[in-house]
Amino acid sequence: MRAGRPSVGLLPWGFCFALFGLFPLLYALTLSFQQMNPLRPDASHFVGLANYAHALGSPSFWHALRTTVIFVVGTLPVTLVLAYGVAALLARIRRAQSFFRAAIFFPATLSMVVIALVFKSLYAEDGLLNGWLASAGLARVHWLQDPRLALPSIMLMDIWASVGYYAILILAGRKTLPVEQLEAARLEGLTAWQVERSIVLPHLRPVILFVVLLNTIRSFQVFIEVFVLTRGGPLESTLTLVFYLYERAFYHFEMGYACAIAYLLLALVGIVLLIQRRVLRSTGAPA
Amino acid sequence: MKLPRFWPYAALSAVALLSLAPLLYMARVSLGHGSDLPISPADWLGRPFTLEHYRSLWSGGPMGRFALNSAIVSCAALPLQLLLAAAAGHALARSRFIGKRATLALATAFLILPRQVTLVPLYLIMAKLGLLDTYPALILPHLADPFGVLFMSHYYQTMSAELEDAARTDGLSGGTIFRRIILPLSGPGLAVVGVNGFLTTWNAFLHPLVLTTSESMRTLPVGLALFAQSEYAVDWGALLAGSTVATLPVLVAFALFQRQIVEGVLQGSGR
Repeated sequence: MRAGRPSVGLLPWGFCFALFGLFPLLYALTLSFQQMNPLRPDASHFVGLANYAHALGSPSFWHALRTTVIFVVGTLPVTLVLAYGVAALLARIRRAQSFFRAAIFFPATLSMVVIALVFKSLYAEDGLLNGWLASAGLARVHWLQDPRLALPSIMLMDIWASVGYYAILILAGRKTLPVEQLEAARLEGLTAWQVERSIVLPHLRPVILFVVLLNTIRSFQVFIEVFVLTRGGPLESTLTLVFYLYERAFYHFEMGYACAIAYLLLALVGIVLLIQRRVLRSTGAPA
Repeated sequence: MKLPRFWPYAALSAVALLSLAPLLYMARVSLGHGSDLPISPADWLGRPFTLEHYRSLWSGGPMGRFALNSAIVSCAALPLQLLLAAAAGHALARSRFIGKRATLALATAFLILPRQVTLVPLYLIMAKLGLLDTYPALILPHLADPFGVLFMSHYYQTMSAELEDAARTDGLSGGTIFRRIILPLSGPGLAVVGVNGFLTTWNAFLHPLVLTTSESMRTLPVGLALFAQSEYAVDWGALLAGSTVATLPVLVAFALFQRQIVEGVLQGSGR
């Protein structure tokens, strides 16, 4: 074993990681302190914290933040509970488990664009859902055109698209349950519900923490759903942070400002993750 | 006592149906006539089947080009990703050097970092390098992905080094050992890295969206999403046919490597 010197095998990836990973990360930080328009690169100049001040003073930013937080807070618990339930059901069956697992997990591997397009056709004014409502004698629903409904419609789709993903994660956690302890509890006459609460749930706590953290990170980045279904509308009711960032950077060419938003997003996700870890750890006292 | 055994199956059947129905709907509409939308499930078998949407995709529209671009990018990125992950993963697992801990920590941090942070800089870097709207711009960022490297590093740590050490005392060079001994033993690990890398590349959206400017360079997800933007008279049949085309490689990968995909998800390949 050669010590002190990395082997040459590290170089190709290290080069790519440095150039297309670390460097952009630091470059974004320096850009966030600049006024930068790629159409007039010579006019870019240092503006200190002005971009951050601009964001924190901008109603659009706070609106995008609020929309994103509603999205995260509205989808995460529902996804988590449904995924937990599906995993519990999957763990309960013997026959055809692999079939059900595959059927429920498959949507999670699909492109979000494909999922969003399918739902866009389902939600369309003359789409399948409205067709059903009409044949039941009910009024049409403007799933994506009504500012009050557009965000919930997107959240519903996101829940549909993520439950399988997290169910598989939780199911994997259940594979390591202490079988003997479960048997003993059952022999003592505990009901399935009591066993679930007193043994299974505490055992799954690390997996659930992982699911919550992962889902939080992914949900804060919600973009494709909005891009395909509503483009932030109607009346900015689905304007999320990343969509706001994208618009600022690539429609208005405010590259420095967009990088400041990116770093605010980064900081926000970091803070939320730290709080979640604290909370979920501290309530982790053995039941 | 029949009921309690039966109800998980009933509930799971409902969940599975709910999870597959939108995809079956997609496939069914893509195989119908343009005027047939929406097709209610009751009519799924009753209405005629036709390939007209697929034909018009290939002959008239740019969708064939989008699919070709996606295929080129995925096929070019995959072997490079595998090679880089194996080489770097092995280096991290076997050699000790200053900065190794920092490298591992940075790579891990990058896994959970919101990728949008690098969006604007990558655009500017690619513009500076003159690579905007080219295949390298779509391929290179995937090569920086730390998941494969971290996964392979862990994989090699659990693999005995005896064989390599013996080969080294026999005088074989590092490169020969890597090619003849390490790579042939890396199959199971590379399958996990490969299939998850393929899915990420094939489904990639935000970076290809901003790194391409001309229609002829769009990948399938980007092309489909932009195609759906027209406010008037969206051609759902064609769009869902394109979506079905985008789904087929994923379906094949899923059928062959489901276990490896799950393994990747569990190890944090989550995008």
